[in-house]
Amino acid sequence: MSILSKMLKNKQKKRQDDNYRQKQDPLKPEDLPILRDFQENISRIKEEVGNSSDVNIREFKIGTHKGALVYVDGLASSIAIADYILETVMEAEVPEGPVDIFQFMLDKTMALGSVKTIDNWNQVYDSLFSGDTVIFLQGSNKAISGETKGWERRSITEPTTQLSIRGPKDSFTETLRTNTALIRRRIKSPNLRVDSMKIGAVSQSDIAILYIKGIANEKIVGEVKERLQRINIDSILGSGYLEQLIEDQTWTTFPTTYHSERPDVVTSHLLEGRIAIVVDGTPFVVTVPAIFIQFFQAPDDYYSRFDISTGIRLLRILAFLIAVIGPSVYIAATTFHQEMIPTTMAIAIASQRENVPFPAFVEALIMEVTFEILREAGLRLPRAVGQAVSIVGALVIGQAAVQAGFVSPVMVIVVSITAIANFSTPVFAMAIAARLVRFVLMGLATMLGFYGIMLGIMFMSIHLCSLRSFGIPYMMPLAPFNLRNQQDAFVRFPIWAMKNRPMFISKGNMQRTGENQKPGPPKQSENQSKNGEE
Amino acid sequence: MKKTLIILLVFIMSVPVLSACWNQKELTDLAFVMALGIDRGEDDLYHISFQLVNPGNVSAGQTGGGQGLPIAVYKSNGRTMTEAARNATKEVSRRLYYAHTNLVVISEDVARDRNLMLNLLDAFARDPEFRTTTELVIARDSTAEEIVTTLTILDKLPVTKVTKEIKFTEAMKGENKSVNIDEIIDGITGNGKEPIANGYRLIGMKEEASKATNLQKTTTDAFLAADGLAVFKDGALIDWIESNKSRGIIWVLDKAKSTDITLKWKGKKNALSIVPIRSKTKVSTIFKKGKPVINVKIENEGWISEANTAINLMDPKTIIKIEKLTENEIKKEVKSSVKEAQRLKCDIFGFGDIVHKANPKVWRKLKGNWNNYFADIEVNVKVNSYVRREGVRTNPFWSDINK
Repeated sequence: MSILSKMLKNKQKKRQDDNYRQKQDPLKPEDLPILRDFQENISRIKEEVGNSSDVNIREFKIGTHKGALVYVDGLASSIAIADYILETVMEAEVPEGPVDIFQFMLDKTMALGSVKTIDNWNQVYDSLFSGDTVIFLQGSNKAISGETKGWERRSITEPTTQLSIRGPKDSFTETLRTNTALIRRRIKSPNLRVDSMKIGAVSQSDIAILYIKGIANEKIVGEVKERLQRINIDSILGSGYLEQLIEDQTWTTFPTTYHSERPDVVTSHLLEGRIAIVVDGTPFVVTVPAIFIQFFQAPDDYYSRFDISTGIRLLRILAFLIAVIGPSVYIAATTFHQEMIPTTMAIAIASQRENVPFPAFVEALIMEVTFEILREAGLRLPRAVGQAVSIVGALVIGQAAVQAGFVSPVMVIVVSITAIANFSTPVFAMAIAARLVRFVLMGLATMLGFYGIMLGIMFMSIHLCSLRSFGIPYMMPLAPFNLRNQQDAFVRFPIWAMKNRPMFISKGNMQRTGENQKPGPPKQSENQSKNGEE
Repeated sequence: MKKTLIILLVFIMSVPVLSACWNQKELTDLAFVMALGIDRGEDDLYHISFQLVNPGNVSAGQTGGGQGLPIAVYKSNGRTMTEAARNATKEVSRRLYYAHTNLVVISEDVARDRNLMLNLLDAFARDPEFRTTTELVIARDSTAEEIVTTLTILDKLPVTKVTKEIKFTEAMKGENKSVNIDEIIDGITGNGKEPIANGYRLIGMKEEASKATNLQKTTTDAFLAADGLAVFKDGALIDWIESNKSRGIIWVLDKAKSTDITLKWKGKKNALSIVPIRSKTKVSTIFKKGKPVINVKIENEGWISEANTAINLMDPKTIIKIEKLTENEIKKEVKSSVKEAQRLKCDIFGFGDIVHKANPKVWRKLKGNWNNYFADIEVNVKVNSYVRREGVRTNPFWSDINK
């Protein structure tokens, strides 16, 4: 594996060098100043966008001065342009005599919330393609950019991948500002910082880095920003791209960054000192650093009482274990350790396997692969034919295969339990890791039985312990063990007992709850004194 | 340099994988040996019957037909256990698998021969697949082969019938006791306790026992039943203790949970039936002039399950009387059992171990000749019995009839 990575690295280096030569690509306009001749400017825009049909240019006259406004149809709101720019421009009464028409326009005619003065072409294109309107005036080497963003955006809907029973029903959308607003609405503190960035040489995607000053670890904030700035790529089409460019370790199946479409989850992560990265165009917000146990925490853990959520969390961890070792235990027990199965069960399994033509491993592999194909097909299928897959899957795998004697009913049970257990992991990124590890363990179990499974689990544990997420050990707070952080690991403590933020991830303000927060009826003495007053 | 190291590491790491499927055995290639029957063949050969399970005919799943018989018995001969087992592979299409063996039946013939008996036990204890917790019984008045080939009606697997039956009768009647190979070996090697084993008998028409037709009747022509306890001394069976005297042994060994005690009441025979629900036995020793005396103390709680006479059960004095009678009855049984064991000069109760623990010095002197010493040892039995309730009726209807 490491040899492979080395080779890849070398190749990458070469490619990077090639890229670097082309880096000053012709697509990106240089930082040229805007010219005084506005006709020149207009023709330059036309030339550079290649007369693209969606770039609209409208010339107008204000007083005796000529001007033109440029906007992208579909990105900018035509109503805003008509009502708050054109109307005021046309009705404006330009005073007689020499007048600074640029300043006049800025002061008197732009009935918009945000208006900027810009003076180079980079800024022109920036505003243009983010939905703003750019106004050029004759004789001015500056331009006005007015905020008229108004493209079609998806409204906030219920989350579709991370469901919760008691939690809020809103989820992130594809619009960066909506997403930051959803978070801002939950943390009304000036300490919530939103730093912006553009990544992607061609796509120029907007990215916002959110953290709470005083709670987040400044070192990690710095590291995140540095890693983001280091990215040199043509485009970022989603937070998934970004994750892969900033994670600590590529050679692992386990996710070292967390992503969520739930604003409440991201908010709680921010309050634990984590850093959120919002990417324009994705409804999934990335939070870092991410640790292993975090992927077993579901939002409902915090909305329901601690005893219930502890029980459910332990159940989830158990389900994860089943999803990882389920089929391999079956293989190991039936091909190596028959003595471990209770006699009656061993005979029952043996009787079912009597007519199965394949060894246990092949049988398990066939079933598992079939199930994975089914799942993948179900995911990619047009919704209208989705039912067909489930019927065919249930009939073919569940019944026909068993009746034909190709697989034993026990195997079907094992595969189903594994599959269901796999779905109970709250974060898909971790569930998918379990799927991959499962196949490796199945191979090991076939060769070495339980000994092989133990070897596999040992390697997995060592690997997990070696992982870091932005410098934070992945297995915190288990390895290194930290007693104070156990409050939210396997057992979720009552909210009033979760006194501190996680160590290392958060730095500075560590205290979460005040003293004596344990609820209860008023004490006897207080009661009496109150009654006495009455 | 680093590259070579990495390549080397990859090679080293693949070593355990290269041994590929070592010791792998598919479930369908195994023949589960459920029970072993050991008889004496000609020329002092072991004649061994392997009771194999036919999985397809046992479970009632979709694939199982349930048409044929649940078990198949193969037989082979050999000078040793191993030889016989290997000879059997000539007849069986699968690998004989002993991890699920639940029962070993030894014929009385073999058990009485010290050599044959002892040679068996090492094979059982040494084989990693074979469990030493396997139940061991002695075939009485029938060959081990006959016991192993018998079909049973309630349980599809005859083995289940035998092992479960012994466990339940131990708990409900207390004349037999579950004995496994480990206990036998412990008893043979130790000085302070001699082993016992259950006797098993095939009752009825022996030639019908292994036929499928035997399963198509509600009252089978031939069936298996526990009968008596075999007493071992010096590694060989010396005698039997019959059922009527074996209950006392189970009392002393503290294995009795429940049983039934029938009492006489005011001249009427079989008038009362007492069923213990809890029982605790403590065996201790005291030394009188350096000689050990054994004290057996039995604490016992029970209820009245039958009262077939006019008796006032509402009167506490009656209850106390019943308790006294029960105590005497138990005492009598225990005493007779002890006497029987003393007659055989065989310490099956483990009194020797108790003396050993109480006074190792005295034990060292007695150790060599313990069984003879045991024959004359003084054993005091004390029973405390309590009647806790009398069922869902108070006074029996007999009281009303006589009015």
